[in-house]
Amino acid sequence: MKAFQYATAHSTDSARELVADQGAYLAGGNDLLGLLKDYLVSAKVLVNIKALPGLDRIVRAKNFWTIGSLVTVSQIEHDVEIKKHFPGLHEAASEVASPQIRNVATVGGNLAQHSRCWYFRHRDTVCLKKDGDLCYARNGENRYHSLFTGNSCISPVVSSLATIFTALDATAIVLRDGQETRLSMAELYQRAWENPLAHNSLNPGDLIVRVEIPTERSRSAYLQVSDKHAFDWALVSCAAAAEVVDGRLKSPRVALGSISPVPHQVEAANRFLDGKVLDDAAVAQAADMILQDAKPLEHNAYKVPLAHALIRRTLLKLKGNT
Amino acid sequence: MSSWPAETKYISHSTARIDAPAKVTGRARYSSDIQAEGWLYGMILRSKWPAAKILSVNLDPARQIPGVKAAVVARDGAFNIRYYGEEIAAVAGTSKQVCLDALRAIEVQAQVRHEFVVNENEARQPDAAQVWPGAPNAPATPRVLENGSVDQAFPECEAIIEGFYTTPVQLHNPMETHGNTVSWTDEGVTAWASTQGISSVRDGLAGALRIHHSQVRVITEYMGGGFGAKFGAGAEGVLAAKLSRAAKAPVRLMLTRFDQALAVGNRPSSFQKIKLGALADGTLHAFDAENYGTAGIGGGADAGGGGGGADIPMPYLYPVPNTRVKQSAVAVNAGSARAFRAPGNPPASFGMESAMDDLAVKLGLDPLDFRLKNDPGKIRQREYQLGAKKFGWKEKYQQPGRSPGVVKTGIGCAGAAWPAGGASPFTQGEATVNPDGSIEFRLGVQDIGTGTRTVIAVVAAEMLGLKPEQITVRVGDTNFPPGPGSGGSTTCPSISPTVFNICSKVLQQLQTQSGLADARGLNWFAACKKLGVSPLVVHGQWEPGLSADRAGGVQFAEVEVDTETGLVTVKKILGVHDCGLIINQLTLESQINGGIIMGLGYALYEERIMDDLSGVVLNPNFETYKMPGIADVPDIEVVLINMPERGVIGIGEPATVPTAGAIANAVANAIGVRVFSLPITPAKILAALGKVPPFVKA
Repeated sequence: MKAFQYATAHSTDSARELVADQGAYLAGGNDLLGLLKDYLVSAKVLVNIKALPGLDRIVRAKNFWTIGSLVTVSQIEHDVEIKKHFPGLHEAASEVASPQIRNVATVGGNLAQHSRCWYFRHRDTVCLKKDGDLCYARNGENRYHSLFTGNSCISPVVSSLATIFTALDATAIVLRDGQETRLSMAELYQRAWENPLAHNSLNPGDLIVRVEIPTERSRSAYLQVSDKHAFDWALVSCAAAAEVVDGRLKSPRVALGSISPVPHQVEAANRFLDGKVLDDAAVAQAADMILQDAKPLEHNAYKVPLAHALIRRTLLKLKGNT
Repeated sequence: MSSWPAETKYISHSTARIDAPAKVTGRARYSSDIQAEGWLYGMILRSKWPAAKILSVNLDPARQIPGVKAAVVARDGAFNIRYYGEEIAAVAGTSKQVCLDALRAIEVQAQVRHEFVVNENEARQPDAAQVWPGAPNAPATPRVLENGSVDQAFPECEAIIEGFYTTPVQLHNPMETHGNTVSWTDEGVTAWASTQGISSVRDGLAGALRIHHSQVRVITEYMGGGFGAKFGAGAEGVLAAKLSRAAKAPVRLMLTRFDQALAVGNRPSSFQKIKLGALADGTLHAFDAENYGTAGIGGGADAGGGGGGADIPMPYLYPVPNTRVKQSAVAVNAGSARAFRAPGNPPASFGMESAMDDLAVKLGLDPLDFRLKNDPGKIRQREYQLGAKKFGWKEKYQQPGRSPGVVKTGIGCAGAAWPAGGASPFTQGEATVNPDGSIEFRLGVQDIGTGTRTVIAVVAAEMLGLKPEQITVRVGDTNFPPGPGSGGSTTCPSISPTVFNICSKVLQQLQTQSGLADARGLNWFAACKKLGVSPLVVHGQWEPGLSADRAGGVQFAEVEVDTETGLVTVKKILGVHDCGLIINQLTLESQINGGIIMGLGYALYEERIMDDLSGVVLNPNFETYKMPGIADVPDIEVVLINMPERGVIGIGEPATVPTAGAIANAVANAIGVRVFSLPITPAKILAALGKVPPFVKA
């Protein structure tokens, strides 16, 4: 990697100041250190933000819970209250990488992680995402790539937490230019939909400080399928959340990961599901709606039936044991 | 002729590895742990192009970086690059980062060739870019081997199946990467190498450096696996030596996982078009097959085209009276293949065992009965019977696809063979017996990780009436009497009779010198005491009659397949194996477990993926070159048939041969359709089930 300076910040203001124009925030470092070592990014200074006060806590309130951006994935996984109130979030956290990685990986880092596209990650290919001229994946090896995109890059968002946060309608609070900016999950990734160079909508110097999850959906679920049974990226992931009143869905939301540069959601399907009783016909129809505009490529068309199955199963899990 | 003792205390029982405490406490020094006095890091600059002519390499900018102590070119003058990752130069420096900086500073002038090909099927086209100019990538006509007459035989068949069974290029991924520390001084060369052949590394280094064999010493105290890819000195050995000479310091050059995927070997791919027919009574009658695969740049232009070394044994395991087999290798711009655990056998087994099941289904026969009908192996017949009972084959077997529900279960089986094996008759060793009764064995063999020290200790303890922990064993040094390379399932049958021979001589001399009629066991220390002040040093060698070749076995697999997501979960593997006289049951079981897990990876996960457009390996890491993890490993049961009358036989290769075929057959049995291509991924399951919408090119 290239040489860099190292500093530890003790307040968000000083973190922002230290990171300046060409620095990077360092928390768990799982993604950042790999990017640095592979010369995919460089930073003049790494600003250790692990000491920032108050960002490593989960705070429960009546209408929403707050999860600090330094909360680790394993904290979420092992929090008994989260398991009870947001089972889908527990399930998503349990699927992230390996126990060792979950112990250090943070919520902020999981949301802000860069593309895993193997052309982007390769040291000797200069793809669109690295300001090159073409997307190698589009006519190349695209088994792990997107079914949807708003630009020429087909690298998908792979954050498991982004998928479940989208279903839970969570908001990311980002410190931007000294102000707190509230971004929906859709907004947090919108730029990746439009711009091949972007991995998310964060500007240089932006710092995710917490995520707020509304408590209105007491049912949630998350499922993913990978090539392997553990420590593998999802081929497709799916999250669903809703309240269930008298057996009927209220405010349902479905989101998918690994098939689009943004967490994939179709508002029409959410509206369709509102008020529905969960049965095989309803969930199949919702799955059709969510996937109808999919544009499969040579090697990733299998993601369509796989996503269809996961949407159905995840929604049916919302029935719970009742 | 000598024979093994009939009653044994240690042989055929279980002894924990004698070096287990050293390994688990970190005291054991692996090749990558070696820190020679004043050592430097070494690193290799690799080509970022799949095809190029290197015109000049300027090392000066690298040498000017503080901490860089040496820089050398891989080859003098202009030279051609034929695959992504081929060596261009190497540097030695005081830290990893210094070396990384140095590699980036080296200036390479190259004519980049845009004509290259990394895909076997494209490489076979007449207009494909030529890997070796002047020679076609594949020979104009394949080699043909014919027996009987297939053209007459097929019309006589009751049932015929045809299939196109394919296997990918598999990468050797030992836990410890390739590499070594090399020190080259005026006295000679010492190499601490991660190798499975200390003698072949010594000879290779001597040849490449143009010095005498006697001036090279290779030491391998502990190494982390090789699987066939670590016999030679390698570019990493020769470059480390040259760097050491230039820097006047030992250089440790261990490859990264990235390097490992490019240039130090792989198992060739196979594309097997098989037509198989049987008579009404279920006897195999006709086999017509064409196979091609790539060994990368392989042997290149030597045989009028083709990469060389991609042939597989066909028809595998089952004799067929009428056969026609066409084979050819295809050169592509990728790193060369090397021997890989049972070379040729796992792909051949997958193709043939799949065809066997498909034909059994067509004949309406239970695939196990069909095998019993056609497998001439008497021991395997016993193993199938025994295994079927343990596995509950008859109770579990259902017609393909009959398992109810979304998640379907299936079972399959396949046979294991390793037609080679046997011993290296030139194996030697020596022992020093001290007057205090301590005894040390020295053999110029190395432990590839299978428990070689423990085998020596177990045999010696048995023969001398001592305990294994009383035996000191030293291996992995070319200063010791020469031993075999650890490959081809030959180590155990080479060293066990050698240790037997040494022990016989020890006892003979000890009894003569001490006057005791039997120096073993309780008399051992009394006999040794009579040696006075001079230790007894005995030299021995391999002797016949105590070892054999041709180990075999059978494996059964049970799987669950989710027909909506395509996920395959292997629930159970039962392996019934034979390898003659079992020396140590515990390490033998370990080796079979490892072989089965490696076969599981071959069946479901592993595949080197090349990019057609850029020519690079896209998955040079464990993130996307997928290896089985603990959550993927099923319940593995190993049943051993001990056959002392056959003598000692190695087990390394056959343990991994049938696993992929057995799993593939279990998958086909579960879902009712065949997945013709390894690895069997969720994507391929869904495609085989007809659930994937057709791709329409925009």
